[in-house]
Amino acid sequence: MSAILSLKGLNKVFGRGRSAVHAVKDVSLDVAQGECLAIVGESGSGKTTLANMILGVIPASSGSIELNGVALPHKRTLEHRRAIQLVQQNPLSSLNPKRSVGASVRLGLDVYEIGDRADREGKVEAVLSDVGLDPELRKRSPAALSGGQRQRVAIARALACDSRLIVLDEPTSALDVLVQARVLRLLDTLRREKGLTYLFITHDLSVVRNIADRVAVFNAGSLVEFADTETLFNSPQQDYTRQLISAVPVLSAEELNFRSALQSREHKE
Amino acid sequence: MSANRPGSGEDTGSVKNGSMERNSSGALLDIRDLHLGFRGYTGYTKVLHGISLSINRGQRVALVGESGSGKSVTARIVLGLLQETRTARITGDVEFQGNDMSSLNASQRRALRGTRMSMIFQDPTSALNPVFTIGYQFTEVLRRVDEKLSKEAAYLRAAELLHTVSIPDPARVLDAYSFQLSGGMNQRIIIAMALANSPSLLIADEPGTALDVTVQAQTLQLMHDMVATHNTAVLFISHNLGVVREFADRVYVIYRGRIVEEGATQSVFESPGHAYTRALMAAVPRVTGGGIPDIDDESADFHDPCFTHDSPIAGTES
Repeated sequence: MSAILSLKGLNKVFGRGRSAVHAVKDVSLDVAQGECLAIVGESGSGKTTLANMILGVIPASSGSIELNGVALPHKRTLEHRRAIQLVQQNPLSSLNPKRSVGASVRLGLDVYEIGDRADREGKVEAVLSDVGLDPELRKRSPAALSGGQRQRVAIARALACDSRLIVLDEPTSALDVLVQARVLRLLDTLRREKGLTYLFITHDLSVVRNIADRVAVFNAGSLVEFADTETLFNSPQQDYTRQLISAVPVLSAEELNFRSALQSREHKE
Repeated sequence: MSANRPGSGEDTGSVKNGSMERNSSGALLDIRDLHLGFRGYTGYTKVLHGISLSINRGQRVALVGESGSGKSVTARIVLGLLQETRTARITGDVEFQGNDMSSLNASQRRALRGTRMSMIFQDPTSALNPVFTIGYQFTEVLRRVDEKLSKEAAYLRAAELLHTVSIPDPARVLDAYSFQLSGGMNQRIIIAMALANSPSLLIADEPGTALDVTVQAQTLQLMHDMVATHNTAVLFISHNLGVVREFADRVYVIYRGRIVEEGATQSVFESPGHAYTRALMAAVPRVTGGGIPDIDDESADFHDPCFTHDSPIAGTES
């Protein structure tokens, strides 16, 4: 599998002089076409800053971001922006309350001038049904929808422009557990059916275990561990990773055993 | 217990801890058949359909359910806050330390808050006032009990309490504002404030949901230790089953304004009796893997009657 996105020596420093904050430190990693790569770490570890640089929201201080082998400039063209889409944590604040659901989903199609008017309407209906919503909902306002439905709208919006790479920033942490399970399942199905690539930013490691192919662990701006999901959970190399995994609240006896095995290994070293 | 005892709330304005134990069952908080509805523009909306719940002294009880199931309104009724809302219609009994809450007036209910019952909210940073220093807000809490407490004495006491929640430099923190501190730090301050007057009941509404996983784990451990030292009972409101399992002695599962399952934590988690509880548990992704759960978020048997674990033979249906 070829890399759809590669980060090379990426740095971000906010401010200057003594008050400078080095938010992302020399991060290099490749995201393979079609994979779900999870980015995990505590608040303040640089996850969202990294995503913002990839999306072109903020410029990198140094280093380069390559999409399909071509370096992306700081100032993105429409084509660049179309290529990477975002789904945010809270659909209530990421959807414009004054725009109907259909208008929100169609906005990207209008901006990137994809197809004519009828095509766009057809596309909106198609993506809404792709995410399991009734296309009739496009006339409603986001306020009339439930949390799970709103997040589906946000996903539909990201899919509308046929982008291959989607950045998901904590897409399910504002949702209830039953709704979360349905949305995760939807994301997983969409990825397989449409050959999407996900950059899944989260601090919920039990979600990561079940959806990601590979995991990148961040601590204080640095990439501290990068491995495929099975390897990372079964034999984490860094203390920090072990701490993150063992901080997850668990339910079943199986998970309790898993955690105590992990913790005993931590004490031995 | 359900009899309305006029005058029983007479001296609630004063703050003597635990002097009002008149309850025959010995429960600290006893909620029986609580109904709640709201009058709105479109008519009357029923929110709670007869909730019964009881908490003993020093016990940690969790109320688990999804958003909109009625968890937070239950907490607000216990705190006596919803009683102030004109559109709310509340029926049923809420007894706290043997006092019928409905017989108390607004100022008597206010006198209970911050002294004999206190609250921890979901987002610690918005729970603290950004225009006052931590020290100022802490003093306010301490003066709820002792009005004549001097500023110096209050600061000393606050520093002591902050020390107990492992805040390294209490003097600096007392002079800081909430926005200058991290989320985990603010949550510790909130815990210290909530327990400052050794209340007999602490209501924690999704504590730590706004924090990340390592800080959340530390916060819960701290809360666990602190309520044990103060012998404070906790009503713990959450939708995170993993957190509930680690924190609570007893669990009530609430679905659409009805309690659907209740029992000791271990027995509820080991043998969930109600379809809704089983669905909730199955929906949590496991850190040991096994794929994304495939669960319907709606089912007819979610409306089955309440399943109680309390009979001596574990898991016998009520």
